[in-house]
Amino acid sequence: MNRLQIAIKNTTLANGLKVVVAPDSAAPVVTVGVYYKIGFRLEPRGRSGFAHLFEHMMFQGSANAPKMQHIKLINSSGGLLNGSTSYDVTNYYEAVPSNALERVLWLEADRMRALKVDDENLKNQRDVVKEEVRVNVMNQPYGGFPWLDMPPVAFRNWANAHNFYGDFADLDAADLSDVQAFFKTYYVPNNAVLLILGDVQADEGIALAKKYFEDIPSGPAPQFADPAEPEQSEERRGKVEEQFGTLPAMAIGYVMPQRRTPDWCAMALLDQALHGGRAGRIYRELVLEKQIAVEADGGIDDLFGYNGPTQMTTRLFHKPEYSSEATLAAFDAVIDEVREHGIGTDELEQLKVKWRSDYYATLEGGRGGSMPKFGLMHLLACFAIFDNEPQLVNTILEGFLAVTCEEIQAAAKKYLRNEKRAIVFRLPVKAGAKEAA
Amino acid sequence: MATRTVEVVTGAPALAAERAVTWPKRRKARLSNGLEVILAESHAIPKFHGELFFRSGNATLTEGAFGLAEMTATVVRTGTTKRVSRQIEEDLRRIGADLSSGAGADTSAISFAGLSEFAEPLLTLVNELAREASFPENEFERERRQKLEEVKLQRTEPGFLAGERLRKVLFGAHPYAQVAPSEEQVAGYKREELRGVYHQSYTPENALLLLVGDFDSDEILKLADKVFSDWKGAKPSPKSFPAVSIPRGRRVYLVHVPGAVQTQILAGCHAITRKHPDWVKLGLTNSLYGGAFNSRLVMNIREDKGYTYSPRSSVTALRQHGYCSVSAAVRNDVVAASLTEIFYEIDKLRSLPVPAGELADAQNYLSGIFSMGLATQDGLLSQLSTVALNELPDDYLETYRAKVRALTPDDLLDTARKYFDSANMQIVVVGDRTQIESQAALFGELEVYDAQGKRLS
Repeated sequence: MNRLQIAIKNTTLANGLKVVVAPDSAAPVVTVGVYYKIGFRLEPRGRSGFAHLFEHMMFQGSANAPKMQHIKLINSSGGLLNGSTSYDVTNYYEAVPSNALERVLWLEADRMRALKVDDENLKNQRDVVKEEVRVNVMNQPYGGFPWLDMPPVAFRNWANAHNFYGDFADLDAADLSDVQAFFKTYYVPNNAVLLILGDVQADEGIALAKKYFEDIPSGPAPQFADPAEPEQSEERRGKVEEQFGTLPAMAIGYVMPQRRTPDWCAMALLDQALHGGRAGRIYRELVLEKQIAVEADGGIDDLFGYNGPTQMTTRLFHKPEYSSEATLAAFDAVIDEVREHGIGTDELEQLKVKWRSDYYATLEGGRGGSMPKFGLMHLLACFAIFDNEPQLVNTILEGFLAVTCEEIQAAAKKYLRNEKRAIVFRLPVKAGAKEAA
Repeated sequence: MATRTVEVVTGAPALAAERAVTWPKRRKARLSNGLEVILAESHAIPKFHGELFFRSGNATLTEGAFGLAEMTATVVRTGTTKRVSRQIEEDLRRIGADLSSGAGADTSAISFAGLSEFAEPLLTLVNELAREASFPENEFERERRQKLEEVKLQRTEPGFLAGERLRKVLFGAHPYAQVAPSEEQVAGYKREELRGVYHQSYTPENALLLLVGDFDSDEILKLADKVFSDWKGAKPSPKSFPAVSIPRGRRVYLVHVPGAVQTQILAGCHAITRKHPDWVKLGLTNSLYGGAFNSRLVMNIREDKGYTYSPRSSVTALRQHGYCSVSAAVRNDVVAASLTEIFYEIDKLRSLPVPAGELADAQNYLSGIFSMGLATQDGLLSQLSTVALNELPDDYLETYRAKVRALTPDDLLDTARKYFDSANMQIVVVGDRTQIESQAALFGELEVYDAQGKRLS
């Protein structure tokens, strides 16, 4: 069996900034990422959506690279850039021809050092974000299903339960002082990791990181609110109206174990058994065999990157002639089967081969074929920021390949319980869907 | 933008010397049965990606309802004379592989990726799907029902409704006018029709096999020969297509979606195919206009005015025709304002030469992102398939960047005048007519449709 080994060099600068370099000169392209340990889970109360709005502000100008110049500088170097906000991290990344590496590092350092934005920038990006929410959620069939629908049903701690895209009233209430306070609190080098991947030598990468970032002053370690949930002891259900779509849908989410525990590895393989495409048990039973659903998918969102309560979630879109309860009963039969009988050794062997293959694809991971090493960047960032151990990228696979049938069944019994789940029914207002519970 | 003082960057490091871009060597071969094979090695991960193309798609079939090529490709993976559906899916998982099958306007394809150590079983399965698909009745009926639900759902997506209307307007009686089947067409599909499409189109002389990844080219070629060479079959007879009459004058097509909280704008006009000598010029012109984050359109209606989140322009090349388009999902109260800016930027590009610095930036951008296709197996595969399916010259990848860099402001001015055909742009707006009709009507004679395609006024 071929095992892929990624060459890595990492260090922590005097100001607390973690640096990870993964050299590979196969193509003359370098990918740079900066991850900050703050996501929408822990944004301020009364400011829902702020972490994401703030991410937009990071493209609006820094001390030496004013608005419009930031994007221009990367594009005109032949590169791509973007950023994204998730539960527990926010990232900014660029892929450029390697002759632009220093320019990218300069730019990332400039905005880590000092954001320079005004009211007009904030108003502009607030408008842009509202159109983003409309195009992705309010004006789309099944928009936000289930990533925005599930949290208020499943969780009780505001950190996990609020609207991550933001209520428009909260977006409107945000002002420049919020922007600067958020920046000062969370965007300090000691709360971040810098990643340089691709066409760079390891020592050169570390030296360049020092050159551009080491004089950025560190700040007080950010204080994070506790995202812990009270123990769940009953099934939770909620309903959301579907304005456009024609099929009744539901999402079923089970609370996951903490990451990097033995149960976590077992759940990841169990997830593959349940949600692994057309061979997965849920798709096979509900779509191919019983033909109750016309679509079934799901899984664990960002397996390596969550740092608080999360779920393994299944999405089902079913035929209107089946009731929600009949559909749920068919789903439950799949869950009961794996709880009672576990999975066989042949199935487990298949799952492991597929898991290894998928892991390699993640490491190479282009994004739409155009953002090389995006997947590797994300894994290294998560292992650096949460585990302080980026080398895990070369060893983490072993834990998954060592999972046994017994461990999978034990995980199924422990986690796939009704009192540990939440269900959201997304029901079309137009079609004659049968009544849900 | 004219309303803001543009500040400049101070102190950014200059670009270092560029490292040469070396595209991997391609190996081209034709097996004794006529199957064309193209290979390239890429060793970053112990996997490989492949695609088996057939030069027949939804628009090119000589008979039957629209979408039969897509339905055929969908059902191909659900059973062969040797394996039932469940076996196929488990066998794929056993070797860590992914596989999908589908059809566009001009081609059908089986796409796959898997571990290099299991190249033989994966290619064997692909061969089986290409030659021995059994079209089980129950699988066909299930996939047909799923397709019906998909077709219904599409009519609730603003982006789909806009694209569908634009294609109808641009292509009239040509089969490119249709992008998806109707519910009636799907309901009328017959299993025998699918088998007919399969036997006609899934032949080695009509096919192209592309493989990119962690393998030795000699060995994988031997393997491909072993697996595929006793497959026989000729090219299907070519279809004749009606001429396309290019719409003259701006018209506006409003697709009414009651209660929509945003308006999807899509405007477009005829352009060229990939084989046309102006293609590289058009690509650069588009990139500068609205194809990049740093483009004029994005800077104007997003970064300056905040009308929209994701404006963009693109050039779409089908095998026989191509078109330019501009899209933006905008706030309902700025539909007219957005269209004004969209046309302002087009007309400016047609009126004034691009400043040298802006041209250089756009050239760097296009040339830089082009070479990123090198960095992943599927990125490389997609570049190779573009070259092969469009019958572009063998040195296309190697010479593209130099061609981009050779272009001048006059080239872009000429290109914008030829292909960003402002006066004959067809404008589609998808939204609530009570909020946007009077704004839309400012831009041309108006036709109003509902989401089902029925003309309202």
